[in-house]
Amino acid sequence: MFWFQVERLLNYWPLLLKGLGMTVSLSLISLLIGGVIGLLFGIIRAGRIRWLSFVVGLYIDLFRGTPFLVQVFICFFILPSVGIELSAFSAGVLALSNLSACFIGEIVASGIKAVPRGQSEAALSSGFRHWQQLRLIILPQALRIVRPSLVGQFILLVKDSSVISAIGIMDLTRSGWMIVQNIPNGLLIFGVVGVGYFIICYPMIFLARRMERRNQSSLL
Amino acid sequence: MLGNLNIRVIFEYFPALWQGFLNTLMMSGLGFAGAMILGIIACALTIQPLRWLRAPAVAYVDVIRATPLLAQLYFLYFGLPRLGILLPEILIGIVALALNSGAYVAEIIRSGILAVPRGQFEASMSSGLTYLQRMRFIILPQAIRPTVSPLIGQAIVLVKDSSLLSLISVVELARVGQQIALDRFMPVEGLAATAAGFLIIYYMLKALAALWSRFNRLPGQA
Amino acid sequence: MIRFQGLNKWFGNALHVLKDIDLDVAKGEVVVVCGPSGSGKSTLIRCVNGLEPFQKGSLTVDGVDLGAKGVALRDLRMEVGFVFQQFNLYPHKTALENVTLAPIHVRGLSKTEAVERGEALLAKVGLADRMNNYPSQLSGGQQQRVAIARSLCMQPKIMLFDEPTSALDPEMITEVLDVMVSLAKEGMTMMVVTHEMGFARKVAHRVVFMDQGAIVESGEPASFFGNPTHDRTRDFLSKVLHH
Repeated sequence: MFWFQVERLLNYWPLLLKGLGMTVSLSLISLLIGGVIGLLFGIIRAGRIRWLSFVVGLYIDLFRGTPFLVQVFICFFILPSVGIELSAFSAGVLALSNLSACFIGEIVASGIKAVPRGQSEAALSSGFRHWQQLRLIILPQALRIVRPSLVGQFILLVKDSSVISAIGIMDLTRSGWMIVQNIPNGLLIFGVVGVGYFIICYPMIFLARRMERRNQSSLL
Repeated sequence: MLGNLNIRVIFEYFPALWQGFLNTLMMSGLGFAGAMILGIIACALTIQPLRWLRAPAVAYVDVIRATPLLAQLYFLYFGLPRLGILLPEILIGIVALALNSGAYVAEIIRSGILAVPRGQFEASMSSGLTYLQRMRFIILPQAIRPTVSPLIGQAIVLVKDSSLLSLISVVELARVGQQIALDRFMPVEGLAATAAGFLIIYYMLKALAALWSRFNRLPGQA
Repeated sequence: MIRFQGLNKWFGNALHVLKDIDLDVAKGEVVVVCGPSGSGKSTLIRCVNGLEPFQKGSLTVDGVDLGAKGVALRDLRMEVGFVFQQFNLYPHKTALENVTLAPIHVRGLSKTEAVERGEALLAKVGLADRMNNYPSQLSGGQQQRVAIARSLCMQPKIMLFDEPTSALDPEMITEVLDVMVSLAKEGMTMMVVTHEMGFARKVAHRVVFMDQGAIVESGEPASFFGNPTHDRTRDFLSKVLHH
């Protein structure tokens, strides 16, 4: 029985691979868009313009405080009702990019705040302009500090992308869900699905740990 | 969009929303309690020296951390019946939440213990305390303090994650919101009510974390 | 060059950190400021390049009134070098990059020009062979010499030193002081907060003693060390000299 199911599962191999590809591309696109916006958010959050920082902080909180599933539904069901028609894929990318922008924003802000005050004092004393200070001295150090957290964020992104399957995107989780309707062996099917995620995420967990260790030793 | 928000629908569904809210709280509470127990056990196993006990605990933590909750949930939901284990969906959901968060709790506690400086172990050993005394008076008090905020953070994650149980048709806050959206074609009202419910829990937990760190700061700490 | 007139500064409402400061530093003069910790000497020197605001009185540096509204602090800071107790080198840049960064981006020097100038200065502070090292690969004394070269590379009119040797191991203090001595001998206008009384005796034109936010006594090194008038000065000197 088991081997028979494995054989049948082999027929679905292309579906699983396509699902894996979808998961990876969803995550990468969202990382890129979310990274750019998140960097901006972080600079604003750590910046001196109080009201702007407050507004962005509130925005970030709204998305950090609600389940991603609800956000996906909002993108998919509510935006059309105000005239923004999105395909499931674009809705998914929008929701995931936005979520990662919010998390990356907080990470970048914490990195900027972790750069010792003496650095900006030294830069100030040399007469750097505000944005030069940020670009040449603060950000390079801040990004180095938060590198492990950013890798961690990408792992979360890959995992969160599975939630988008709820609106019918054919990602790895969704393809598992489809297959399990035909081959009623959840342990086998979602075991294989799990292996797919593991292959992507585990090396990054490893990488993040190594970066963290290196950061700690370089701070000593 | 907010101009023609139909507040009446929210009132009409209020009992259902309230029930969903309570269910979310209940499942999250049970899930987190389970996660703490699992996390403490897994952490204890990963830092003790016996290899054959350590390996499964490490594998548990790594596998959970490298795969999405939804896949874990489906694994149990579609998989347990195969093993002849028939559980109500809500119980499967709570088990999945506990298993998932347990791995993160284990990591948080482990990093708390690792953060205690080596000198503290050496100093407590040199003063002749027994192993249990060392743990109780010196190591654990220092190890637990930095874990409280991340643990509350993990509780926040768990509450939000519990919304995924709606996908295996457990009735909780997100599910009720979807019902309003689908029964009445009012996605704005349904999802706004859901989001508001989760935000209430989020801000309460966040305030708790802030309170804790305000009152438990050591003198001289920033 | 630097003129304090009746300057007062508070931290918040309660903490009066600088009290009625009157002090003139002429061009080419070397003034050493000393005093017990918490006496306000670091705050005083940080006022000079606008790192600390003040509430009352006036402070004029190189003709710029720092109390005025909308003062061009950036322009002033280009002319005033500042050396920190903790060096504050940029850890992600090599020694040479640390030195040339501001000349390139603030002064607008070409890269070759800046590098030429930076190499000369690093050689001058004795670090010709360390130009491509990162700060983490340098000793404290070497880092502080890079920091001095970094300030000098902007060709400032005034150099400020905020306890430049306090964070250093004893054997590295001399190498930093030597650089400062040669700078003083070249006629640089300098304000130096330090406990190094040997340095004060050797190169200072004037020594200022501060306590509890006020200037207690100031004078030429000979009279300051030989014949201090105030008990507090004598008390302080006996603590720093007899060790």
